Amino acid sequence: MGLQEQYRKEAAELLSSGEVKLVIGYGEGTTADRRRPVFVRSAELVSRLVLDASGVANLSAYLVPEGLLSDGKKVAVFLKPDGVRSINILAAEAQLDPGQVVILGFDIEGGQPTPLPGRKASDYAPLIESLKGSGLSPELQAEADRLEQMGAAERFEYWKEQFSKCIKCYACRQVCPMCYCRRCIVDVNQPQWINTSSHTLGNFEWNIIRAFHLAGRCVACGGCDRSCPVNIPLRLINHRMAKEALDTFGHYAGESADQKPVLATFRQDDPETFIL
Amino acid sequence: MAKIGVFVCHCGENIASMVDTGRLASTISDHPGVAVASEYKYFCSDPGQETVKKAIRENGLTGVVVAACSPRMHEQTFRKACAEAGLNPYMLELANIREQCSWVHTDKEQATEKAIEITRSLVEKVKRNNDLKPISVPVTRRAMVIGGGVAGIQAAIDIASAGREVVLVEREPSIGGHMAQLSETFPTLDCSQCILTPRMVEAIQHPNITVMTYSEVEEVDGYIGNFTVKIRQKARYVNMETCTGCGDCIQKCPVKKIPSDFECGLGNRTAIYTPFAQAVPNVPVIDRDRCTYFKNGKCKICQKTCQINSIDFEQQDRIETIEVGAIVVATGFQIQNTAMYGEYGYGRYKDVITGLHFERLASASGPTAGKIRRPSDGKEPEKIVFIQCAGSRDAAKGVKYCSKICCMYTAKHAMLYAHKVHHGETQIFYMDIRAAGKGYDEFTRRAIEEDEAGYVRGRVSKVFEENGKLIVRGVDTLLGRPVEVVADMVVLATAMVPQPDAKDFAKRIGIGYDEYGFYNEAHLKLRPVETATAGIYLCGACQSPKDIPDSVAQASAAAAKVLGLFSKEQLEREPVIASVSDSTCAGCWGCVTACPYNAIDRRDITDRNGNVIKRVASVNPGLCQGCGTCVTFCRSNSIDLAGFTEKQIFAEVMAL
Repeated sequence: MGLQEQYRKEAAELLSSGEVKLVIGYGEGTTADRRRPVFVRSAELVSRLVLDASGVANLSAYLVPEGLLSDGKKVAVFLKPDGVRSINILAAEAQLDPGQVVILGFDIEGGQPTPLPGRKASDYAPLIESLKGSGLSPELQAEADRLEQMGAAERFEYWKEQFSKCIKCYACRQVCPMCYCRRCIVDVNQPQWINTSSHTLGNFEWNIIRAFHLAGRCVACGGCDRSCPVNIPLRLINHRMAKEALDTFGHYAGESADQKPVLATFRQDDPETFIL
Repeated sequence: MAKIGVFVCHCGENIASMVDTGRLASTISDHPGVAVASEYKYFCSDPGQETVKKAIRENGLTGVVVAACSPRMHEQTFRKACAEAGLNPYMLELANIREQCSWVHTDKEQATEKAIEITRSLVEKVKRNNDLKPISVPVTRRAMVIGGGVAGIQAAIDIASAGREVVLVEREPSIGGHMAQLSETFPTLDCSQCILTPRMVEAIQHPNITVMTYSEVEEVDGYIGNFTVKIRQKARYVNMETCTGCGDCIQKCPVKKIPSDFECGLGNRTAIYTPFAQAVPNVPVIDRDRCTYFKNGKCKICQKTCQINSIDFEQQDRIETIEVGAIVVATGFQIQNTAMYGEYGYGRYKDVITGLHFERLASASGPTAGKIRRPSDGKEPEKIVFIQCAGSRDAAKGVKYCSKICCMYTAKHAMLYAHKVHHGETQIFYMDIRAAGKGYDEFTRRAIEEDEAGYVRGRVSKVFEENGKLIVRGVDTLLGRPVEVVADMVVLATAMVPQPDAKDFAKRIGIGYDEYGFYNEAHLKLRPVETATAGIYLCGACQSPKDIPDSVAQASAAAAKVLGLFSKEQLEREPVIASVSDSTCAGCWGCVTACPYNAIDRRDITDRNGNVIKRVASVNPGLCQGCGTCVTFCRSNSIDLAGFTEKQIFAEVMAL
């Protein structure tokens, strides 16, 4: 029995026993290799769940809409290790109670989904520890290295060109599990810190602020990259910020549900290399 | 409709020499909303302030911008002037065109342009200012003094004598600090112990002073008028209440060969000990690491000896939490380890010692009972070489600054030596003699003229041992030739450096420090005993190298500041505080974690049936210090700071 069948069966049991009120998983998309999220509320519909190598999206983002978890009932969700890390951060930031999340864990190895046994976020602590500091895919790493080699001016030109493509559709924000604010800073217009029109300055403001808001929080699920209609390699920025948080403060986003936010905490032995 | 008055100050020549103040005033008078713009030589002076007040009354101004110095300098002055003219004092802004403009530029044309920009941006800000009312908070009228050296003792006695309670915290087993180690003191040559120990006794007997020795401050929370301090009282293993200080336990302790820190290793102490005979309180402590009982589980001789059963091996560290309204930091200094000068042989040759060692040798209560004896063989040295600036004023190997006291104590050492060893000879290698102070130059002259101290201007390149003598090679720069001196002892005037944990401690209690670890005053000239953290004051050598007169003067100054604070029951605080927008707060509690003052709590918003609809962050106005950390942290932009609202800052930026 494949993992898809196994998890369909488990989902049906969870639903029919009343253990969970909802299962969030992947379903058929518009093309054969695309998946869209499906929300299954009854055991009869579990056949809509699809799990194969195309299940890459981080579905934790669908747990945070207002009111979904306020009745205290549980929800099951298909998650890869990066998604589990997101659950930890959302728990640390009081956006959900990890006890309400039943994880149907998996990872993709050799083009096949493989099961991960943990059902609770805390079960994943050893796995997350072992992933600490793991890098990007070889292609992206090569691109990241190339950027590191550049001088500041050259790198600025690179991002200027990339950001000039941005059309301010905010798909990156919509897909990101970390962007749960009811009112995003970009929607504040009294005063309007961020220019909403899509010219380079406004685009810079938006993307740099987003990078800062994700510092120490991004789990490198790649959702922003994939959702960007103009192919800005957003993951490279977020990866760089994550590296900074890890190298400077030993902070690996989403290690546990009680992790303190790296930019809000101070330790006496924090390096002060940035103070001139 | 805004009616803004702009007042451009010349600050004598400070601003006017680099900024065309006339052009600034005329340009800004055309800016929308500016009703009057004028310039004057000193707006902070009485007639200057009158001009501002008159303009407010006559023009019905709604806001005032004074283009002058830093707000740290004169914001309060002009706020008061505004209030006297009937304008809310928070409708004033200072455009800093001195520290941030005229003082730092050399091109008048560009500096003027910049001054115009700065002033215009503040005009745009002040248009969006709101009337604010100061917040009243209660003051706990009890002070804590950290450090029981001469500075801390003086501050504690001064505050206590004015009728306020003081907690004096000292981490060593006795108060007294470095001064207790000294022999005689310059420039009067009174015996250090004779003038200090009565003060130590006065401190411990004072009804308003609680002395906590062998105790360390672990944590400071709160803010001016309302600090909560956690103090760790380390276990002494001796009952403070019952011990009479008879000293029997010390006599009988079998572990006798522990080098004494107080004697700089020149003498020994026992495992149960008081650092020196005149210790206050005169209650010994057990050095847990050296005590035979703690090491092997056997001995307890002290316990058997003690007739009143004061030894308690079961004692534990105790954490005490106390509430205080003000803190005086008097944590003192250390002397630099001079081992970095390999060429001087400190640490290699027993007879190369520091000035503090010499103090112990010259002290009547010291290991040699005041006789000058060299450490290696106990012989009386016939010739001593003193090397000044052994660490100070040496950017390459030591510290850049002048330690201030070494010229004086070296002269004193030469004098004491001449008094004690009549045929003895001295050679003092110096860079220059710094003897600025009351009676100081007279003192060094006396050392040279009456006590024949031999001063040689120049540096020492090498000290080495030969046939039981120390050979000192150096240069006499006045004669322009190398010199070689055969000496019996070499005394290094080592640098004064901050306590090794000074920076950590500063972070723990929340005050600033300089590159070395000396604590920063709020303003070197005008607020020398205050720190940038309101309610925390400084005195003594923790701020910079200081001699005894300066330390004591500063201690009394800090005490005066504390008493000023304690003169009222309520404290008026700036209404610059943060507030949270309930509708947009996402409840991530990042601000709760980020707030350094624990001023943000979680608050439930309920419907009319009492059901919780939402939990949001909520700022306690009594605790908020208006630092703005939460504002910058909040991702959804849900926190705003009164007096520095987003709208104000945005207008300021956009006006540039």
